[in-house]
Order: sequence, then structure tokens, then C-alpha cells
Amino acid sequence: MDQTNIESLCHKLKSQLDCTFDLYTEIRNDDTFVISPDQLKVVVAMINEHFNGIHLSTITAQQREANAEVIEVMYSFFQGVGFSLMISLPTKAPEVTSIVSIIPGADFYEREVAEMFGVKFTGRRETPPLLLPDDWDQAPPFIRNEVNND
Amino acid sequence: MTKISIPIGPQHPLLKEPLSMKVDISGERVLGGSLRLGYVHRGIERLAQKRNYVQNVHLIERICGICSHIHTTTYCHGVESLLKVEVPMRAYYLRALMCELERIHSHLLWLGILAKHVGLDTIFMHVWHDRELALDIMEEITGGRVLHGANQIGGVRFELDEAQVAMIRAGVEKLHTQVEGVLDVIENEPALIARTRGVAPVSADMIKKYCVVGPIARASGVDVDMRRDNPIPPYDQMEFSVVTLPDGDALARTLVRVYETRESILLCERILRDIPDGPVSTRVPRKVPAGEVIVRSEAPRGELFYYLRSDGTDKPARLKIRTPTLAALCLLPEQMSAIQVADIPVVLAGVDLCVACADR
Amino acid sequence: MIEGLFYLLLFPGLVFQVVCGLAYEWLDRKLLALFQRRVGPPWYQPLVDMIKLFSKEDLLPEGVNERIAGLLPLLSLSSVLTAGLYVPIAGFSLYAFEGDLIVISFLMSIPTLAYYMAGILSKGIYSLLGGGRSLLQYFSYEVPFLISLIGPAVMAGSWSVEGIMTSQYLLGPFILYQPLGFILAFVGLIGKLKRDPLDIPSASSEVVGGSLTEYTGSKLALWHLVMNMQAVVGIFLLINLYLGRSGMSNPIIAIIIFIVECMVIMGMLSATSAVFARLRIDQLAGVGWRILVPLALAQLAFVILMGV
Repeated sequence: MDQTNIESLCHKLKSQLDCTFDLYTEIRNDDTFVISPDQLKVVVAMINEHFNGIHLSTITAQQREANAEVIEVMYSFFQGVGFSLMISLPTKAPEVTSIVSIIPGADFYEREVAEMFGVKFTGRRETPPLLLPDDWDQAPPFIRNEVNND
Repeated sequence: MTKISIPIGPQHPLLKEPLSMKVDISGERVLGGSLRLGYVHRGIERLAQKRNYVQNVHLIERICGICSHIHTTTYCHGVESLLKVEVPMRAYYLRALMCELERIHSHLLWLGILAKHVGLDTIFMHVWHDRELALDIMEEITGGRVLHGANQIGGVRFELDEAQVAMIRAGVEKLHTQVEGVLDVIENEPALIARTRGVAPVSADMIKKYCVVGPIARASGVDVDMRRDNPIPPYDQMEFSVVTLPDGDALARTLVRVYETRESILLCERILRDIPDGPVSTRVPRKVPAGEVIVRSEAPRGELFYYLRSDGTDKPARLKIRTPTLAALCLLPEQMSAIQVADIPVVLAGVDLCVACADR
Repeated sequence: MIEGLFYLLLFPGLVFQVVCGLAYEWLDRKLLALFQRRVGPPWYQPLVDMIKLFSKEDLLPEGVNERIAGLLPLLSLSSVLTAGLYVPIAGFSLYAFEGDLIVISFLMSIPTLAYYMAGILSKGIYSLLGGGRSLLQYFSYEVPFLISLIGPAVMAGSWSVEGIMTSQYLLGPFILYQPLGFILAFVGLIGKLKRDPLDIPSASSEVVGGSLTEYTGSKLALWHLVMNMQAVVGIFLLINLYLGRSGMSNPIIAIIIFIVECMVIMGMLSATSAVFARLRIDQLAGVGWRILVPLALAQLAFVILMGV
């Protein structure tokens, strides 16, 4: 597994999907493909099939600045070399399909993103809180206003 | 027989750290279980956003007591990549020495716990006695047994002189003999083998589906090791073998870790032989230029993932940590079906829980 | 009357047995520590532990019948003490009568059943599991243990422990004729005392504390005392049945030999604890019925045939 395989993957994904998607090379060590949220499940299924079982390192979510309009969710994979998929979700109503049916190991990572950022993952069983207490009734910790000191 | 649900945790003799599991059993058969984390959640990722990069080294060291050094190593490597500084090679070698010592002490700790859960208290005492050798070396060179404070951004904070190198060599040699003895016992102890052979086998397919990493994956034949696949210096210049076994049962998970301990001891000897001279750190600016980086390294329990984003100030904009125990816990409810109640300690020990790591 | 009280309360009754029980616990912990490269506790540790435990708060879960919970350890204590009265100590025996071997075996089983009932009583899930396991274990080791007690009785032609001991003056220690019986009795003793490798009912990594999970304070202290004294009476019984000294008339030498034999058996108990891992309950049941019982029957058959 090396860089050329990532490029071949990139070609394959571009040719089989109608929409174009960009390569975001800002992240050192990991080439990142920016896709739209509705393409997520298809792309992940394709990647999983291409590598015959892909290893998902983790799912990271972040906001670029406080009170931003979008939440960026990044799925990081590793197969000899690391690469990621990045999607953007609106902060007001973040919703995306779950990939647990393709990669069961994504369960805990999705639960953590759901409780920390308020992202709703559709198509899976209820996301019970993973790390926060059962009686957490405030806003998701990473979305809270910076002024409101936690 | 009726189905009853027994709680394991948050306090239980099996658990070193709090974790809540509800295991459904019927007679002596286990039907399944569910998991609840979060008892040790401190919000490290959020806390890291409020402290500057130097303070974060100390914060991150305290995520876990057993694998504290690899956390700081990975973090410092990430920050140094963003700073684009040239860290001296000697610093890399010293970091690797501490990493390997940490791997040795972590695996020996785990082995003692497994023996204790099976009822072999004597092996537990003897193995932890040997573990003291590794801890003594770490204390001698950094001043701390558990939290070392060895890393800083730009290098390490300790230097070795001739006497210390000789002491480390002697200690590692003694460890080598002791671990060979331990290996001899583990491979031939009939009670331990009877309690672990064929227990909760995990296939390579399951490993891939649940994205499990570390010794658990290697015990099912999945050949993955971040020291070889995505190396941080000096691992790209060092030769070592990655141990895999095909069976995937509890015995394979035990043996993989003991063989890895032996490999780490050999690596320590190689590090001491090849370490170059030079400074042990460089000066770094306080403000880190804007950028993002992903670092993967091999903690004692598997692949450790750090994502760090900087926005040009002296505080990180986002720090994401994914510890290997979290990946292993995904598999635990699956492993819990179709075993006996008496096998629960063995399966739980095989996961090598570090709940503080998983919760952050 | 005074003499009777002296025997009941001091020697070989209450005080003597408690002292022996504490000494046994200390020796056990010290030997185990030496096997494990540790230092081990000082000689007064078991006494101090007992005093401290008696002074702790005595709590039980809601809804548990406190009177029965308190009665069970007392019942076990009295049965073990009574059993101890019939076992000769260094040749000195008091109330022996023909058939006291059977009475002793019966009295020694009462603590096991009380342990089970204590577990059922406490309503906690771990107590239930521990209690159930203790009964399962009881069925696996008790039969070979009892059979191996019969062997010396047949050989001596007497059902009194004192009778068996005195008959070894002429024939020599029975261990020479029935080594297998001794080993089986020893294994049975380990099971009765719930020691490693047969401490399945109280395997802390699986059932936390077994039957006694919910007990604290004086009730728990009494239970510990019962376990220790059970060990002492069991060891004395084993010595009298298999290691009876041959033809010593000098009481001082008899006492010294008795103490040495106690130490040897204690050393063996600690060594097996240190070396072996805990069995799984199904493995124990398999071993008990497929290996131990046939061996015990074979040994018994051999003794009977030899006597004829």
C-alpha cells in the first residue's frame, strides 16, 4: 500500500460517482477527500469493498471557529498509509447517515461525536451516551458558546 | 434456567478502573453484555483547548498512568511537525527507549493481572517483581516510575551519562533472563493453558469489521503495527519483528504479549547500541503556525491516533485523541456471547483495559 | 463440673482451638508470602485482624433476616468446636466413643451447608452465585473425602478416631499402607476449606466475595474464625487417621511429633495454594467424579481385600 494506490482509489471514486470532489491536502500525513454528506455511505461502502475490509481509525468532529456555521466531520482510515474523508454539516441541524452497517467498529466513534457535537446519525439504533453522564441536560460540550465558561 | 443480569462494575475486583457492564447469564453460560463508559471522563480534549502547548504536555501525560509516555511522544511529534523543527536524532532514540520500557512494563503488568484472575497468585507476584526492574530503570533516568515528565516539545528533558547507560544495560539484561523464565512458565503451565486455550476465539474478519488494533488484532493473524507501518523516527531505521499468531483465542492473546515483551527488550538493547551523540532538544517558539496534522503511533495496547489543529496562537484549536482501548471495547460485547461465567475474567483481561485512556 | 468446663472452654475446647486457628492462619499467610517472594505478616496479624473486624459496623442488606444471619456462623462455630473435642491431640483424647468418626464427619459438613444458606439468605446476586457454587463443589469433593476416611477405619477395625490412632501404634502409620487414601483425603480437605485451587465459591475475580459478600463486622469475623478452626480440626483429623505415631509413650516427644506433622501438612496446603490455578466448576465436577471417586473406591477395595 502506498501513495499510488491512494491515487488509484481517488480515480476510481471520481469515475464511479457523478459529482466531483476535492483533495484537501492541508492535513499532514493524511490525504483527505472532501465529499458531501449524502455521498458518505456510498463512498465508504466502495472503500470497504476496494480494500476488502478497511480499518477505520476514528471519526473526528470539529468546528473551525466558535459559533461556526458548519461542523466538519472527518473519517480517518488506515491501510498501509492513512487517508480521510471529510464532510461538512450545518450546525443548526447536523444529520448524516450512519456507517455502522458497513463498519460495525464505527459504533463508539459515532456515539461520541453524537453526544459531543449533537450530530444525529440516521439508520442505526439509538445513540446512548458513551462518555457523558445519563442526566446530561445541557448543550453538547463542544458546541457551547465560548463566552459561557465551562 | 432463568436469565439473570449481573453487574460488573463500576466497582469490581476484576476492574482496575471503573467501567460498567451488565452481563446476562443463564446458569453458567453467558448470553451477552452491554457496556457503559464515562466514569473517568475528564474532558481532556476540551481542557487542551484552554491551555498552551507546553502545559498540554503535562495534561496529556496524565490521560493514563500505564501508557503516559507514548501519549506525550505522539503529541510532541505532532506539534513538532507543525512547527517544522528538526528534532535531534538522539532525542528520538531516547524517546524510543522510554517507549519500549513502557511497553515492557505494561505487558508485564497485564500478565500479572491475568494470572491473578485465573487464580495463579504466585505468577502475579513474581511477574510484578520482575516488572519492578523496568520501573526502576525508568525512575533512575527520568525521576518518575509512572509519570515521567520525560518529553518536551523539541526533544526530551533528560540525558544519559556513561554510568546510567551501563546501569540500563545491566537492567535490561536481567529483564531478558527473567522474561525468558516467565515465557517458559506461561508456555508450559497446564492450568493457565486450560483456562485460556480456545476461549472466546476472534477471527481476522471480526477484527477488521470492528477495527480492533494492537495485540488483540495480532493474536488473530492481522499483521498491523504502527511502528513498522507508519513509523515515527527512529523506528524507520530499526529492525524488529512483529509477532502474530493465527488462533485468536485467549491463549494467543497472552502469548503475543509475552513475545512482544521479549521483542521490546531486544529493541532496548539495539537502541542502546545505536544511539547517536548530540543534543537532546532544540528551542521551539511558543506560537505554533496554523496547520493540521495526524499522528499515529503504537501504544502498548495498539494504534494511538492524534489529530491536532493549530490556528496560529499558542493554544491548540482542536486536539482529538483516539486511544486503542476504545477500539478494543467495541469488540467486547461480541466476545461476551457464547462463553462461560468462569471465562469472563479471562476475556476481560484479554482486552487489556485501560479505561482512563478510553474515557479521556 | 469444673473439669468439664475447663475442657470445654480452655483445652481442647474454645480457647485452644481459637489460638490454633489463628496460628494456622498466620502460618498459612507467611508460607504463601515466602513462596511469592514477599515478606508476609507478623505473628500477631490474624489476632489483630479479628479484633478489628469485631469492632466494625455490622450491616446487612434490607430485608435480610438478621437473626438467622447471626445464627448461621454461631451454629457452624459450635459444630466445629464440638467436632474438635473428639479428635485426639498428640494422643490426648477425652470424650472418644465408638462411632465418633461418623459424628465428626457430620459435624464438619454443617459449616458448608451453613455457608450455602448464608449466601441464599443475603439476597445479593454474587452471594447467590457463590452459594450455588459452594454446594456444587461440595458434591464433587465430599464423596471421595468420606470414602478416604473409611479406609483407616476398616484397617483399624474401629469407628472411633482414638481407636484408629491407637491401632497405628502396632501397625505403623496408615499412610504407609494407604498413600492414595491420604492424598484423596488431603484433596478433600482443600475442597472443604475452600482453599486455592478449590476456592471456586469465593473466587474474587468472578463472584466478588461469594456467599459472604454482604457480611461485615462481627458476623464476618465469626465466619473467618469458623474457617480457620475447620482447617485446624481437619488437619488434626488427617494426622490421627493417617499419620498416627507408632509406639511413642513419652508425652513430650508425642507433642513435638504432633506439631511437626501439623507443620508438614500446613506446608503442603500452602504449597498447593501457591502453585495451582483455580479450577473451573465444570472441570472440578469432572475431576471429582471421573478421577477422585474411582480412585477412592479402588483404595477402599484394596484395603478391604488386604484385611481379609
